[in-house]
Amino acid sequence: MNAARAPFALFLAFLAGAPFLLPEFYVTLMNFIGLATLVTLGLVLLTGVAGLMSFGQQVFVGLGAYTTAVLATKYGVSPWLTLGAGLAVTALAALALGLITVRLSGHYLPLSTLAWGIALYYLFGNLQLLGKHDGIQDIPAVSLLGWKVDTGRESYVLIWIAALAALVAARNLLDSRPGRAVRALRFRATMAESFGVDTARLKLVIFIYAALLAALSGWLYAHFLRFVSPGAFNVNIGIEYLFMAVVGGASHVWGAVVGASLLTLLKEWLKDLLPKFFDQSGNYEVIVFGLLMLPLLHRARDGLMPVFARLIPRDERAAAPAPAAPLARRAPPAAGVLLLEVTGLRKNFGGLAAVRELSFEMRGGEILGLIGPNGAGKSTVFNLVTGVLPADAGDVRFRGERIAGLRSRQIARRGIARTFQHVNLVGTMSALDNVAIGAHLRGAVGTGRAMLRLGRAEERRLLAEAARQLERVGLGAHLVEPAASLALGQQRLVEIARALAADPVLLLLDEPAAGLRLQEKSALADLLRRLRAEGTSILLVEHDMEFVMGLVDRLVVMDFGEKIAEGLPQAIQANPQVIEAYLGGVE
Amino acid sequence: MSASLAVEHLSVSYGKIEALHRASLGVAEGAIVTVIGPNGAGKTTLLGAIIGLLGSSGVLRYGGTDLRGTTVEERVALGMCLVPERRELFAELSVADNLRLGAFHRRRDGARAILASMEEVFVRFPRLKERARQLAGTLSGGERQMLALGRALMAKPRLLLLDEPSLGLAPRVVREIFHIIADLKRTGVSMLLVEQNARAALQLADYGYVLETGEIVLEGAAAELAKNPRVVETYLGLSVAARLAT
Repeated sequence: MNAARAPFALFLAFLAGAPFLLPEFYVTLMNFIGLATLVTLGLVLLTGVAGLMSFGQQVFVGLGAYTTAVLATKYGVSPWLTLGAGLAVTALAALALGLITVRLSGHYLPLSTLAWGIALYYLFGNLQLLGKHDGIQDIPAVSLLGWKVDTGRESYVLIWIAALAALVAARNLLDSRPGRAVRALRFRATMAESFGVDTARLKLVIFIYAALLAALSGWLYAHFLRFVSPGAFNVNIGIEYLFMAVVGGASHVWGAVVGASLLTLLKEWLKDLLPKFFDQSGNYEVIVFGLLMLPLLHRARDGLMPVFARLIPRDERAAAPAPAAPLARRAPPAAGVLLLEVTGLRKNFGGLAAVRELSFEMRGGEILGLIGPNGAGKSTVFNLVTGVLPADAGDVRFRGERIAGLRSRQIARRGIARTFQHVNLVGTMSALDNVAIGAHLRGAVGTGRAMLRLGRAEERRLLAEAARQLERVGLGAHLVEPAASLALGQQRLVEIARALAADPVLLLLDEPAAGLRLQEKSALADLLRRLRAEGTSILLVEHDMEFVMGLVDRLVVMDFGEKIAEGLPQAIQANPQVIEAYLGGVE
Repeated sequence: MSASLAVEHLSVSYGKIEALHRASLGVAEGAIVTVIGPNGAGKTTLLGAIIGLLGSSGVLRYGGTDLRGTTVEERVALGMCLVPERRELFAELSVADNLRLGAFHRRRDGARAILASMEEVFVRFPRLKERARQLAGTLSGGERQMLALGRALMAKPRLLLLDEPSLGLAPRVVREIFHIIADLKRTGVSMLLVEQNARAALQLADYGYVLETGEIVLEGAAAELAKNPRVVETYLGLSVAARLAT
């Protein structure tokens, strides 16, 4: 057997054997672990991967549990129908909460989740329909094709099938086109938008998905315990779920199992142990959790799963992507056709005019150099053209269409791709996955299909395209390395490969040669010339004058946000104003 | 105390990958030594290991002190200072506060000595004085590099480890930065310089090493290295060879 799969197989074998071998008490514990795994898994995706922290998942567990409890006890609806109803109620609630709160940034989001966590807890506890603080009893058992899921051992089967399915679906999701976009949400949202990802929508989708996992857990909980009360859904529980995600490893799918197991077992053990030390009863385990958290965050900041993962040999088969049919390409505009028109562009940052009344145009198959001193506004021009920043005045037209005012993902769709001056890669993701984000708009597989591992043919084509672009920039030997482990100059080349993977008509390169050595620079210059010959137009910001002068067709020179010169390289090099502002005198 | 650095058989690994393999080099007191090599050769790793940010095996000595087991803070206190590739400024702090942080380990010297150091930095970089109250995040690329250098100087270093000081800078500013480096040498500061502009680096340096895939493959007096056909072809370009020939 493959060594990398061994721990997984072992885990499955344990799960399969547990209900036959373990005493009732431990089977019940395993059930609680499975229930917590579902909720924690949602948090892993939401908090660990997408970077949205929530203290409120217990509310969705509660919605799933109460919906089925009310419908099944008061109206006698079949539990399978109430599952659908619970998921629907939760999805609507998550949509409403998500629309309001997901766009909040920084600590406002976690604070707002705390707020609705508290609000809904009191709602559960005060509604007559939900049995107030007494809760609802005598919830019927689930039955499936005549099999009544009655005992803890039988619930175990249902709970762990659900948990395993959710774990596999989450793995599938992260290892796919939408998954790469999700992994970029946390730190690289601007970049993701620049390659066509609708980050706001994607955040909402992940938020709702995490809520649905919680609701599923709630439904299972209600039919396993046959009883619900508000106490199971208070804010403490929400904090515990987050705890599990952090302890397990918030960015690892299997971290959800590790965290849920560890904390559930620990809590149970402490409940037995602590009363022996304290006279009065109370939630002392919280204090112990807190104390344990300190060394953990000190020693294993990313949770325990990465520590375990290091012990498991890496699956080498994942190395190079399989060959696949190339993706369809855009038809480039004819050489010499007007491509980009910038007129009267202006941008102020407070009192500082970063770009003033800038006008220039670019034609098909042209390399235009944009040069000027540091701080002259060149990168701002990039951000204005690509829609990362809104312009204060002026117009940008691309192939005759006005693109000023469009969002960056809409501009990306029209065939403009860029690199970033400050490397904008997802450091923990492989070079290959980073570049595949560039080809986001050339695929169509969404979150649902990705979870079911459908659309693998498209995925192979996207990865093959990413590999091809990495080979093109000379990084064919570094496909699977995490982007952060590459040297800075190589990371810049990954940026270029990512932009190329978008199959752009217009390529905006921000200091592509910075940090490269002579040979690497000449290889890059050759690549850019080939691209030009293929019909791609390139707007180039670069300080290496040898590189620029030997490559560009024309130059635009900026200083203090204004165009101070424009023309052929030779004329620019002799222009006294440019020498004074930028090139400096000859020594 | 001498400010010479001796590195012998230094190796650094990231997991299973060895980024630096038994590299040996030295920086004599008051000298500028440059390390050139392609991307991913291990140059930044070398500087990181010397200052103690990365664990390493091998011998590291500075001015007669064995650096094994010393922390980054202790190495800075000994007079070593790294100017990192990404500058690593505190964007939300003012220029003056960034400079003050450079003198963090000198807090026993007293406010007056630190203020005097700051004045020295301002004499060297008048631009920083103009922008002393501005947030570091609002500086242009050239000013950032000046601030990174200035912050290092606040530590009163005897050995500067410079990682790509000209990265991303306009031609004029590149020249300015190299002037400053040459000027610093005159004050007796030793320097280990990693620089993409191999031509300028070899002009400035006394001695040079070529680092490729984690190993030192070539070394020699900078003027000699600049004539080496392999170095010329890979790092300098033929135009320079032609210029040297005439």
